[in-house]
Amino acid sequence: MPESLPQPNTDHMDSLTTTTLAALELLFSGNPELWEIIAISFRVSGVAILVASPPALLVAFILAYYQFPGRRLLISINSTLLSVPAVVVGLTLFILLSRQGPLGEWKLLFTQTAMVLGQIALAFPILVAMGHSALQACDRRAWETARTLGATPLRALITIMREARFGLMAALLAAFGRIIAEVGASMMLGGNILHYTRNIPTAIALESSKGEFAQGIALGLVLLILAFTLNAFLQHFQGKGQPA
Amino acid sequence: MTTADQFNVHYLKKHYAKRQVLDEVTFSLQAGQTHLLSGDNGAGKTTLLRILAGLEKPDSIQIDLGMGPLNWRHVKKTLQQHALYLHQHPYMFDGTVSYNLGYAIGVKLTKQERQRQIDKALEWADLKQLSQAPAKSLSGGEKQRVSLARAWLKRPSILLLDEPTSNLDQESRHRTLSLLEAFKSDGTAMLLASHDPMHFPSLIDQHLRLDQGKLIRIDDQNPIEFDQTHPNFRSTA
Repeated sequence: MPESLPQPNTDHMDSLTTTTLAALELLFSGNPELWEIIAISFRVSGVAILVASPPALLVAFILAYYQFPGRRLLISINSTLLSVPAVVVGLTLFILLSRQGPLGEWKLLFTQTAMVLGQIALAFPILVAMGHSALQACDRRAWETARTLGATPLRALITIMREARFGLMAALLAAFGRIIAEVGASMMLGGNILHYTRNIPTAIALESSKGEFAQGIALGLVLLILAFTLNAFLQHFQGKGQPA
Repeated sequence: MTTADQFNVHYLKKHYAKRQVLDEVTFSLQAGQTHLLSGDNGAGKTTLLRILAGLEKPDSIQIDLGMGPLNWRHVKKTLQQHALYLHQHPYMFDGTVSYNLGYAIGVKLTKQERQRQIDKALEWADLKQLSQAPAKSLSGGEKQRVSLARAWLKRPSILLLDEPTSNLDQESRHRTLSLLEAFKSDGTAMLLASHDPMHFPSLIDQHLRLDQGKLIRIDDQNPIEFDQTHPNFRSTA
């Protein structure tokens, strides 16, 4: 008589289904604590993108359109910064902002401003790298045509940004997607304080460590929906950015 | 024009790596005259046009301004005020033909005045039926007409044209030539780079040839010879 094959453990499946259902209930019942965390996440990451984009895109433009000594070195440094883990960025800023650090007097540690600074540091190299690619792909005649038609350098720059808008939009979305989901810098710089600096990824980390999976899964679903939406837009914009 | 009807360029030099592309080039452009700039591929025709448009920095240049030597920044600004460069393959901004024409008008005019000028340019270049067409989807000849209409709106003193009829069919070429003749009648000085002078027999007043960095003037003693059996000669002369 052969031994019977081991049966799958249905308890785990039941547990996952129950937790997911609880998560959906939390999400759609308008749980105020949950939605506050979501709002903090969007606010911090939104401000970080708004602050980081203008200087990052200007740097991207300079790298794409001007030749100067050290340009290649700058591009290499920026590429290196792309792969720095969020927790290292968080640690560096933590040292700078801690009480004994050079910027300790600003008293920014464990505030939303510190989280914004961390996310700016993470978003900046992504915006520069993708912005640089988008602007470099833009036909050089666009700049020359604008200038020869009498546009000031600022107007010509705006024109180039408009011509490369799909690629630049893809850069913004990619950077936003990266920073809203990062946990390392937010945890170290924000401190995961409820009603103040607790955002989606830090809340997921906390709730999971406590064994409260429902809220973690609910927030995970928000990130998943956000990731899907951003990717759908990304595909849309990158497709439009292709030359006809 | 830097003077009423003449623009003088002296000692224009440009080199790439070890190659001297333009070697002490000196010439004058006259208002209302078309100057053909010929030369082999790579002779430096496009480089010369781009420098005169302020798009490329030369090793040295002097232009007549009656105020002594100027640095490149000032020369560039003056060139950009007076000269307009048209690429061999004109670039169309993403938008309609009207949007592209409006770009040349600037931002200071009222909406009504802008539209009035755009309408005039559309009529001038026979583009009325294409006013709302996406400019990037136009044919080569239509793009050339849009680019000339943009130039017409800017009213430059000097028009710098890089192979304006290359890759155009016969009909588009004739339409482009008639627009260039309108510029000439308006008193615009034109410097027209082409490796084939046969394309513009009725337009040309002076023939300049770039050869190994030197500019040679082809004059009465050394005339440009038109092939009178060439189809363009018969149809436009």
